[in-house]
Amino acid sequence: MDYRERWELKDFLIGQRLERRVLLFQVLLTLVLLGFLLNFWYLQGVQADHWADLAENNRLRRIPIPPSRGEILDRHGEVIASTRPSLSLVLRREGGHDLAEQLRRLAPIVDVPYDMLAERLASMRGRPLYEALVVKADVSLAELARIGVRRERFPSVEVRQTPRRHYLEGGLAAHAVGYVGQVGEAALSSDRTGRLQRGDIVGKSGLERRYDDTLGGERGWMLVSVNNLGRQIGEARVAESPYHGEPIRMTLDLAMQRALVEGLGEEAGAGVFIDARTGEVLAIASTPTFDPNLFADGFTPEAWEAITTDPRRPLHDRAIASFYAPGSTFKVIMAVAGLETGTVRPSDTVYCPGHATFYGRRRLCWKRGGHGTVDLQRAVAESCNVYFYTLGQKLGIDAIEHYSSIFGLGTPTGIDMPGEVAGVLPSREWKQRVQGEMWYPGDTISVAIGQGLIAVTPVQMAHAMATVGNGGVDVTPHLRREGATPPRRLPLSPSTLHEVQRAMARTVERGTGRRATTGRFTVAGKTGTAQVYKHSAGIDSNDLPKDERDHAWFAGYSPAESPRVAFAVVVEHGGHGGETAAPIVRSVLEAYFAQEDDRGASGDTRADARGGRRRAGDVRAPSAR
Amino acid sequence: MYGHRRLDSLDVPTILTTLALALIGVVSIASSTAGDGGRAGLWRMQLFWLVIAVVAAAVVVIVDYRVWAEISLALHGVVIVLLVLTLFVGTEIGGNRSWLVLGPARLQASEFAKWTTCLALAGYLASQVRGSIGLRQLVEIGLIAGVPAGLIQLQGDSGTMLTLTPIVLAALLIGGMRARLIVGLAVVGLLLAPLVWTQLEPYQKERVLTTFDSERDPSGFGYQVRQSKIAIGSGGITGQGLFRGTQNRFDFLPEQHTDFVLAVFAEENGFVGATILLGLFYYLFWRGIKAARSAQDRLGTYIALLVVAWLAGQMTINVGMVLGRLPTIGVPLPFMSYGGSSLLAAVCGVGLIVNVRTRRFVN
Repeated sequence: MDYRERWELKDFLIGQRLERRVLLFQVLLTLVLLGFLLNFWYLQGVQADHWADLAENNRLRRIPIPPSRGEILDRHGEVIASTRPSLSLVLRREGGHDLAEQLRRLAPIVDVPYDMLAERLASMRGRPLYEALVVKADVSLAELARIGVRRERFPSVEVRQTPRRHYLEGGLAAHAVGYVGQVGEAALSSDRTGRLQRGDIVGKSGLERRYDDTLGGERGWMLVSVNNLGRQIGEARVAESPYHGEPIRMTLDLAMQRALVEGLGEEAGAGVFIDARTGEVLAIASTPTFDPNLFADGFTPEAWEAITTDPRRPLHDRAIASFYAPGSTFKVIMAVAGLETGTVRPSDTVYCPGHATFYGRRRLCWKRGGHGTVDLQRAVAESCNVYFYTLGQKLGIDAIEHYSSIFGLGTPTGIDMPGEVAGVLPSREWKQRVQGEMWYPGDTISVAIGQGLIAVTPVQMAHAMATVGNGGVDVTPHLRREGATPPRRLPLSPSTLHEVQRAMARTVERGTGRRATTGRFTVAGKTGTAQVYKHSAGIDSNDLPKDERDHAWFAGYSPAESPRVAFAVVVEHGGHGGETAAPIVRSVLEAYFAQEDDRGASGDTRADARGGRRRAGDVRAPSAR
Repeated sequence: MYGHRRLDSLDVPTILTTLALALIGVVSIASSTAGDGGRAGLWRMQLFWLVIAVVAAAVVVIVDYRVWAEISLALHGVVIVLLVLTLFVGTEIGGNRSWLVLGPARLQASEFAKWTTCLALAGYLASQVRGSIGLRQLVEIGLIAGVPAGLIQLQGDSGTMLTLTPIVLAALLIGGMRARLIVGLAVVGLLLAPLVWTQLEPYQKERVLTTFDSERDPSGFGYQVRQSKIAIGSGGITGQGLFRGTQNRFDFLPEQHTDFVLAVFAEENGFVGATILLGLFYYLFWRGIKAARSAQDRLGTYIALLVVAWLAGQMTINVGMVLGRLPTIGVPLPFMSYGGSSLLAAVCGVGLIVNVRTRRFVN
């Protein structure tokens, strides 16, 4: 081969084309390099700050410092819910290359299904990278040791100390106090403040939820310099201290609460005891109850299945979210309505032969032989149905509805717990709207004895009893000591209330509510049975199978002459209120007055005790901002 | 056989530019491996390889390029044999079976294939192509480049395989292939792209997608590119200072001393440094094209142009990758990335340019 050939014409032409193409090549190269130069300028000149921030983020890891949740105390400072430190295992999502692989290795060690972890990891897409995936909360030291020896296989896994909720009294006040859990997807996506992060612990029910802002506090941040493997280099420093949650002092009295829950025992039911003068809730319970610690510790699937499918619905709060026909307890309000409207005078009498016919329908009194001639006092004390059928017929539904609403029936009481329902206060308008039917006069006759369409919650009933007992002052039931709604005087005349108070006192002295007292303290109250099945009227409840028996009510206040505690207790399928509900009331009131005696002996009356609260030894002062 | 030139006609600017780039590379490697126990001494290895490369390049310059062209096919054959050998007795590093272990040295035959491919194609164009490239020539050019390309692909090293593409394209361009044929080839290539896509490994697809959507999977495949951009961007105008880049120092940047050495350099030397570096590359390629223009014969022109096409193409792929404009494929930055074979081949490539320049046509 000889490359030293001479240039000829053809070569010249080729040379020309070659020259053009070399030029093209040069232009291309120049453009590419200019493009690169522009790109460098864009990154290093225009966007320099942005990338510098990211570099800083790369190097500095923000680690959240969870706030410690405020304690919940009873009225005497006894701790109901506290916060204890616990360790949880998290997977950092930033800076890792093989997160899925690490999870796969981790799953069997911590005994959490890999699929579940992978799903949770996938669902975190789109969230800020510094939010870590909580692999398992409250890990044991044994589990930590197993991971610790293979530390290098889990470069993105980290142990964080997290405060953990602990309910010292278990299920004692589970519905009122509530429970906490990881913030749900819905709350996260609707959170506009940016306050919530996945894995945050928030109140899910009860006071925990109602006062989450106060109890929850605000998380802080720690900054740590790290290298690419997430290994910490240098000291961690606190960039922002967390604001710890503030404690909440409840109005609850644990001694009374205990008596109430024990009194309800295995029965399904509810009880509400409030201070008749202030609305402070002294005891509030719903049974069956549950252990709120289960929520904090994390459910096993079986435990969750068991609690959510239990036909007795332990998670449901019967005290504020169940409504029952008030039965004869409603006669108290009927009596007030009758006197206030002037429809009856105290001395007016009705003859009760044990039955009466209204609008072509024969109605029974619970006493088959009849009460004979009864006035208002006897009608209430002996719970004569015929008297109140007659009164109801005279009053009409509009007046009944009017006076019921003055006592707060048909609207939530405003107790500071989430999930309160309104119950049912029927009216012509209500029946037309909800049932699409007109109001029949016969409907009024049923409502007059607290059956039929009307339904109230236990807290509504306790609240109404407080109004009767305190002489017509509307107090809002509340569980937190601070910030109560001020009392409001209702348009009810003192003489009317006095008359009804006397009747209620007589009910306990000589009538159906005798089992509510031991004689150490006086009680005014009214029993009631809420019909479950139509046939139960006139049939002794004790002859029926348990789940067909009527619900038993006992509602009232104590002491009879100057009420301090108003109450309502309902026992589902409890039969006669006087037999099942009244003894529960008695034991709770005993707990109340026993403390009263203690305080009286030391010269510290209850009213004074409210001013100078006893401070719990371990109340954490709210951290200063 | 051919006339000899004296040493004073050596292309000194080209040589100095090349040395400057290589030394900047050594410093950047030193910075990117400082404090890293196992790799801290790598810059010395690179310097050692540079010395070897300079000696080898001297040999390349001394022997007339026409002699190199005469034995080019033989050299190409040797490299192909080495590539085949690598396939069977090679050592696998980072997923690629590309290394031949010879005593203490590990050689990447694929790097030398770039060099011999340039030489062989230039020789072929100069001796076999008159006027324009016909079908037969197209096939033969395809064979010369395709055999090593296929073998390299079999090693799993798609990056190096792809760097042969600019060489072949340049050969077709300067070999006189009709423009419309080149366009036609490009169209066929585009039409074949979906077919190629289906043949890609999942991770390769992911890398391509990451190029178009930089926020895609920032902790996975997008991680490297993102970290690279963070490193470059946080360098700012004047840089963080030598040995001070945080992204580099804290090892956020993977492959920081090999394929992504430019990101380390840009973080520590800023836009000013990047401009100077790109300027050096541009000057080097400009010198190469100048050598091509002043060559004594077509062979000289072809050799210089193809070497420039190789080095410029490889630089473009690497810089594009570091800037996140091209998919991440393992292509080193010529002269700068850590790797003996790569440095040796690139410096010997410049040796060919200097060779042509030294024996230039003088009136």
